[in-house]
Parts: sequence; C-alpha cells; structure tokens
Amino acid sequence: MPRKVTYVFPRMGYSYAAFESFFQILGYDVITPEPSNSQTLKRGVSNSPEGMCFPFKILLGQFLKVLEENPDKYFKIVSLESYGPCRFGYYSPLYAKILKDRGFDNFEIVNVEGIYPPWYRGIPRFFKKLIKLIGWHTPWTGVKAFLIAGWKVYAIEQLERKLYYLIPREKIVGSAEKAFNRAFERIHHAPNKVKAIKEVLNEELKRMDSVKHVENVELPKVGLVGEAYMLMDYSNNLEIEKKLAYMGVDVDRSLWVTNWTLDRIIKTKEHLNHMLEVNKGYLDFFIGGDGQESIMNTILYKQKGFDGVIQVLPFGCLPETVAKQILSNVSEDYDIPVLSLSFDEQTGEAGFITRIEAFVDMIKDRKAAKVGKKKSTTVASQ
Amino acid sequence: MKIGVPRGLYFYVYYPMWYGFFKSLGHDVVLSVPTNKDILNLGVSNAVDDICISVKVYHGHVKYLLDKRNVDYVFVPRVVSEDKYRYTCPKLAAMPDLIKSAFNKDSERILSVNMYMNQGKKPLLDAFGKIGEKLGASVKSVKKAVKEAMGYQEKAVKCLRKGHNFAEIVKNIRNLDKLFDEPVKERRYNVALAGFPYDIYDGYMNGDVIKHLEEANVRVVITDMLNPKLYKHYTKYMIKDLFWHQANVAAKGGMYYMDSKDIDGVITVSSFNCGIGAIYEKLLDLYSKETNKPLMHIVVDEQTGDAGLVTRIEAFIDLIRVKRGDGLVAS
Ligand code: SF4
Ligand code: SF4
Repeated sequence: MPRKVTYVFPRMGYSYAAFESFFQILGYDVITPEPSNSQTLKRGVSNSPEGMCFPFKILLGQFLKVLEENPDKYFKIVSLESYGPCRFGYYSPLYAKILKDRGFDNFEIVNVEGIYPPWYRGIPRFFKKLIKLIGWHTPWTGVKAFLIAGWKVYAIEQLERKLYYLIPREKIVGSAEKAFNRAFERIHHAPNKVKAIKEVLNEELKRMDSVKHVENVELPKVGLVGEAYMLMDYSNNLEIEKKLAYMGVDVDRSLWVTNWTLDRIIKTKEHLNHMLEVNKGYLDFFIGGDGQESIMNTILYKQKGFDGVIQVLPFGCLPETVAKQILSNVSEDYDIPVLSLSFDEQTGEAGFITRIEAFVDMIKDRKAAKVGKKKSTTVASQ
Repeated sequence: MKIGVPRGLYFYVYYPMWYGFFKSLGHDVVLSVPTNKDILNLGVSNAVDDICISVKVYHGHVKYLLDKRNVDYVFVPRVVSEDKYRYTCPKLAAMPDLIKSAFNKDSERILSVNMYMNQGKKPLLDAFGKIGEKLGASVKSVKKAVKEAMGYQEKAVKCLRKGHNFAEIVKNIRNLDKLFDEPVKERRYNVALAGFPYDIYDGYMNGDVIKHLEEANVRVVITDMLNPKLYKHYTKYMIKDLFWHQANVAAKGGMYYMDSKDIDGVITVSSFNCGIGAIYEKLLDLYSKETNKPLMHIVVDEQTGDAGLVTRIEAFIDLIRVKRGDGLVAS
C-alpha cells in the first residue's frame, strides 16, 4: 500500500500561504516549516558543509526539524532549483545525501527544475518532475492549483506593499502592522477561488487604507537588492523592510515572487538583455543567481530617484560577492550610497540595527543637504 | 608587444595555449612572478573582502603586471565554459568585469575575450580572432597562431596524462616534447590531490603541499592528470553533474582516485570562501566513508603555509604508512 505523502517545501516570506493552498488543492497533506529560529539554524549549520550557502543551511535546518518531529510520516521535500552558475543547482542532491547520511529514510526529494540543455533530455525531464510534484490529477486540478497559488502570492504582495507604505506614515505606531496581519490571515485562509481571493483582497486593502496616516510626505527612499531568498524571507533578513519602514524610510524591494517568476521563467530573454544593457561596462556576462539583478536594480533605483540602496547577501554567496565588488564602482559613478549587508548565522540583531540606522541617518543628511542646496540656488536666482 | 599573463586561475590550465598563441604572433609573454607576500597583499587590498582567496591572489598578479610600464596588455580572459554544458563559477565568469572594477584606470590595458574551451576549433578561432584583431594581426596569421596554440595545449595534456604535473609543464613550456619523453618518477606512496589547479599548483598559497609530500617519498598525482572519460560514471553517485567543469574534475577525479587500489590517500585543496569547494569536499567526505580511503582537506587561506599544515601533512603520511604496514617514521 502506498504510504500517505506529506509535502514540505522551502518556506520563504509570506509566500508559504500560497504554497499551502497549492498542495491542499491537490489533496495532499502539507507541513509548513517554522520560520528560521535558533533551533532550525543550529540544525542546518551543524549538518551542512561549512562553506555552503547560508540559504542552503537555513532550509536544511527547517527540513531536518520537520523530519525529526514527524518520524511516522513520509515526506516529499520540494526543492526549487535549476542548473546554473549558482550553487542553488546542487541543493537537492546534497540534501538527499546529507539526510540519508543522518539516517533519515522517510523522505524523497522532488526537485522542480527549469528546463536546461540538452533539450531532448531537458524537456522530458521537466515534465517528469512536474508530474512527480503534482501527481496524477485531472489537468484542471493542476491548473487550478497553480492559478490559486499565483493569486494568493499576488494578493499577499499587494498587502505587503501597502504595509511598507503605511508604516512610516501611520499616526499610531503599530496600527498598519495590525491591519496587515489580519489581512494576511484572511488571504491565507481564503477559499480557493479566484473570486473570493479578489474580494478579500479588495476589502482588506480598503481596510488598511483606513489606518490613520499622513499622505503627501516625502520620505527618503531606499531600494533593496540582493540574493532572492534572503531578500524575500523576513525571518532571515531580520525583517529589514519593516525595520527600515519604522525608521521613517520608504522602502522598496526589487525582487518579489511575481516579478521573479515573470523575469526568470516567462520573459527570460528580455530580462537578460535588459540587464546586459543597463549593466554595460560593469558586468557584461551572465553569472546566475541574482548578482546581475543587484547591479541593474541599483542603477534603476538611482534613475528613479532613490536615495540609497542596501544589498542583502548571504555570506560567501558567489554572484552577490561579484556584485558587491562591482557595486562600489556603481555607487561612485552614479553617486548613490550602497550598503552591503552579509548575513550568516552569527548576524546579530544589535549590530545589524546599528548599521542600518547609521545608513539611514547618512542618507537623510544627504537628502537634507541636497534640498538645502536646491533651495538656496532658487533663492539666489530670484 | 609585451603581453602580461597573470600567474593565477586559468593560467594553470590553459597557459600552453595562450603562450603558443602570443608567441606565434610574435609577441613576448611576460608572466607575473610566482605568488609571494607582495602579490598576496596587492590582491587582498584590491579585491572585495568576502571574495575567495584565489580571486584575490589573481587580482595581485594582475596588478603586478599593470604596474610594469613596459607591459602593453594584461591578458584577462573570461573562460565561460570548458566543455559543452560545463561552465565556470560566477566569479570566473565575471573575471574581466571584476578586474576592470578593481583597476578602473587601467581598463584600457586589460585584454579580454570570452572563451569557450574544448568545444572544437570554431569558438577558439572566434575568440583568438578578436584578440588578434586588437593586436593588429592578419586573419591568416591568427589562423596559424590558433593552430600552434592548440598544438601546445595538446602536448601539455599529453604530458599531464602521462603523469607530469602542470608545474613541470610551465617550466618546460619551450620543450614539451622532451618533458613528455622523460619518465615519471615512481615513489613508495601515492597520494592524489583533488581540487582546482590554481589552488593545487600555487605552492606559496597552499604551504607547498606537493613539495612536502614528495619529500616524504610520496608520488603526487592530481585530478587534472586524469582523462575525464575515466570518471564519467560517477555522475550516478552524485545524482546530477555539477555545473562547473573544474568542480566535476575535483569531485569525480577524487572519487576515481579513492577507488584506485594504488592510491594511498586523497587530499582536497580548496580556496577559502570558495563555496564550490564545500560541495566537492562534502561529496568526497561521504565517498571516503564508503571506500575507507584516507582523506584530508586543505583550505588555502591567507596563512595556510604555517607550521600547523606541515604537522597535518605529516600526520596524514603517518596514517598511510601505517595502513601500508610500514610503521611510523622514526623522528
Ligand atoms: S545565489 Fe548565493 S546563496 Fe543562492 S545558491 Fe547561489 S551562491 Fe548560494
Ligand atoms: S571556483 Fe571557487 S576558488 Fe574558483 S573562483 Fe570560483 S569561488 Fe573562487
């Protein structure tokens, strides 16, 4: 008799709500790993090769905890990966080997890979894996799972954007977050129907808008670039967006699940060409990961009038370290402050806050100085 | 013209080809000195903090050559791939960009081109054609130079397959035929080094591991000596191939040596903060559990060459001596 399967997937930011729905629609049990905490991190770090990517360690720790706590269940561990310059492409074989070596055998890994050459192997492999992921269902069920998950991701992102807009403007500290938490839970548990999700989203956006806040203030603007996972998972980037927002900054994150999917899976070619064009003279080649994006988005942020950029990277990340070196030139040439923050298991809250506070103070001063200059020139010309 | 070739990274794989090419066009190849303290310091101060030590050292070599006023160009190729679908790490794929970012003022003197290796003559003709154009060479002379370049590389590979190491190839670049005819010295023990050539052959950085082993009557074989056909089948154990050619060489070559009866032990050499090293080290760790072959890791960093390393190498040699029933060295 086939054992009942429980799915576990990499938790990233608030997107877990959408993943849960995805597997529920397909009729599977699913366990969402805990957000990173000292217990998951400890497990992940002590079982990973020392020099491995921090996101690898984080996820290994989360999976390990789930496996340990549920010895009687059989798991399909979902790993999203590709075959590319980044170590990302070899996460799942290493998970498999390390977990086996640790004595677990109640799991299999389902790695969802993009299609990579040679094509005659890549395309069949892709479909084989897709079937392994979703199992045999009527095509409609599969499509519905993707559709609903997509809608939930989109809805959550709308709520998040609203949240970061409101925090620096709210009149009562914490009121925006309270409204957001409620809204998020409602989307999380919304019935798996597009119409229902849309309705909940509209209602909750309105409700968030009614949080008392001031409009029409100009705040310093900070863009976030960096490695996708660290950037999108609040439990690992120490909630950098919220922290910046509470410091009175308009914060904008460059990578979201929606634009990531659009750029990397649907409109790959355009995206790659766009990057090469913007990055010309700085980074003229494909290097995988999100390194080219980090450079491009820094330049685009400058062009959109942002006052500073923070690069969020896992310590030792290959493409982001390349980007870090090159960003120092971009920062100089384009006259935009860039702060690179590397994260690993030792990154402490206190030091982290000090660094972003200092950065925010610096860009506030710069902004004030510029406004001052502008004013004085207009005065002089009158 | 004088073309500077930094003694780092892919120098340790494709130097014969580059040498042959520039030579044939009538240019002088100027090598940077073997890594020393000054080169290392130059590298450390010019590259970003968290980058791997091998790339830092490379920055040092480039800077050394840029500082020589009589060097017209410094050759910093972008080695994109080394086989069909086998590429290089993101830092290597970005090398000319990194170098230009570090030495902005000198970017005019950086000679750079994208290279696709081991995929036939066409990509080489394209790449070298671009360089030839920049150096003012005729199409005909470039064609001839590419042929010669490939000849050098083939000879070098033949020497490697026979068991000569790349350091010997560099020394005998003018006379590879002679090197090929020389016998390879047998010794009591055989130890294999698995890793990237630039970490294995940079004696200053890795605490002269080859020298130390040879002094202990160990013959050192290296993963770059193996014909890739020999270890193809290890993909199965690895579940899937690694994306990076050199990492596959290190991982699969290391496994091949672990399965070889005449090899007493395997040592991995990798670069601090490499990250890719972490993967093949782990794979070899797991594989050595299965084969029971002694395995040691050397991670090259800014101060590898200290007494601690020598002690570790000695302990490793003791271990293989005992396994062979030779007992410990009386000291
Ligand atoms: S982007 Fe960085 S952290 Fe992510 S897989 Fe690649 S090297 Fe690792
Ligand atoms: S493979 Fe490792 S050592 Fe080589 S350049 Fe890349 S990160 Fe550095």
